[in-house]
Amino acid sequence: MDKAKIRVLIAKPGLDGHDRGAKVIARALRDSGMEVIYTGLRQSPEDIVEAAIQEDVHFIGLSILSGAHTHIFPKVIELLKEHKAEDIKIIAGGIIPNQEIPKWKEIGIDAIFGPGTSTIDIIDYINRSVK
Amino acid sequence: MKTNELISKLKQNDVRAVARLLTLIENEDKNVEAVLKNIWPLTGKSYIIGITGPPGAGKSTIVDLLAKMALKNNFKTGILAVDPTSPFSGGAVLGDRLRMNSAQKAGIFIRSVASRGHLGGLASTTRFMINGLEMLGNNITLVETVGAGQGDVEIVKVADTTIVVEVPGLGDEVQAQKAGILEIGDILVVNKGDRPGSDRLAKELKMMLSLGEHKKWTPPIITTTATKDLGIDELWNQIMNHREHLENEEINQTRLGKIKYDLENQLSQHLYTRKLIQIGENEIENMAERIFNRDIDPFTAIEEIIKQ
Repeated sequence: MDKAKIRVLIAKPGLDGHDRGAKVIARALRDSGMEVIYTGLRQSPEDIVEAAIQEDVHFIGLSILSGAHTHIFPKVIELLKEHKAEDIKIIAGGIIPNQEIPKWKEIGIDAIFGPGTSTIDIIDYINRSVK
Repeated sequence: MKTNELISKLKQNDVRAVARLLTLIENEDKNVEAVLKNIWPLTGKSYIIGITGPPGAGKSTIVDLLAKMALKNNFKTGILAVDPTSPFSGGAVLGDRLRMNSAQKAGIFIRSVASRGHLGGLASTTRFMINGLEMLGNNITLVETVGAGQGDVEIVKVADTTIVVEVPGLGDEVQAQKAGILEIGDILVVNKGDRPGSDRLAKELKMMLSLGEHKKWTPPIITTTATKDLGIDELWNQIMNHREHLENEEINQTRLGKIKYDLENQLSQHLYTRKLIQIGENEIENMAERIFNRDIDPFTAIEEIIKQ
């Protein structure tokens, strides 16, 4: 399996257009040798889960700055369960209040990387959890 | 998923199983041969439409519109979209999906594929990925190549109908005279038809075609403005015309030719791998060094390796 690659879907759900963070992450993951499927702005949870299944990714990365995560996180988790695709892990970034993090981890968000996180830490995290 | 479970799910057109199979194919996983052997009789049932052209010409947008058009005409479609792998990191950002929103909303299966170092506009495993995708039960497969240069003509070995998308502003009529990507189009598209120079480009392409030898099928030239959904109806009609033309003439002949081409490639790859296992990678390195030092010439070196 030496030709296997880590595949990550980067999505920007919700209605705000601030996709710089998502693009920086996509580029960093690419530069570390991963295959990144970039789906762009305003994706619904249904779009994201369907794309993640078709693309057979290891991770979904959600970038949300608008506060819409309170709706989107549970929905994405629920849809993955519905499709029996819980093996696809979710990581998130953007503006997620610190005090909420334990709660989101409990319901199934694998990791949350707030502003200021080094891309190296994210890459390490993904590499470690796929192995 | 175990191999047997995967095979039985594939036979039920299960989406997750198809997605997993595509991963195994592109990873050249050791279990994939067993799966492909089993499903082989069920594959080869889709009409393959290839879309190629330079980066930024609008290929993904056109694929999106064609997928919608196919749906409207009661075809079931699958999409493979190939993007380049970085030669430095081995990674890739696959962004074709970004332009395929309406296909995605319509539930059409889209798979982004990284070229993984293969040149020619496709990945080395694209042929088998098309076969894998056919386990969805689709009767049309749209294959979008890497943003192609003049020599990236491999799509023609894969597709039944090849569409070459060009845009105004990339060069003069001498560019159109050169061999390569323009020669392989069964249909030529001038996209961005709302830009200045598109009429002229269409004329130049027409001129180029009129200078060549006359074939049974003359590639039509269609002007589209994909962002405004203009000209796609006509493109679709021409694809169907070409399909009909092939069915009357030569589709089995050309498909057979393509399978022969694949077989030759796979055979040489296998023979090479076997030889490499037999003699060891060091021997190749030794021989390369001897060639470099002019102790031996490349032709004798190959003879010696074959004899070993």
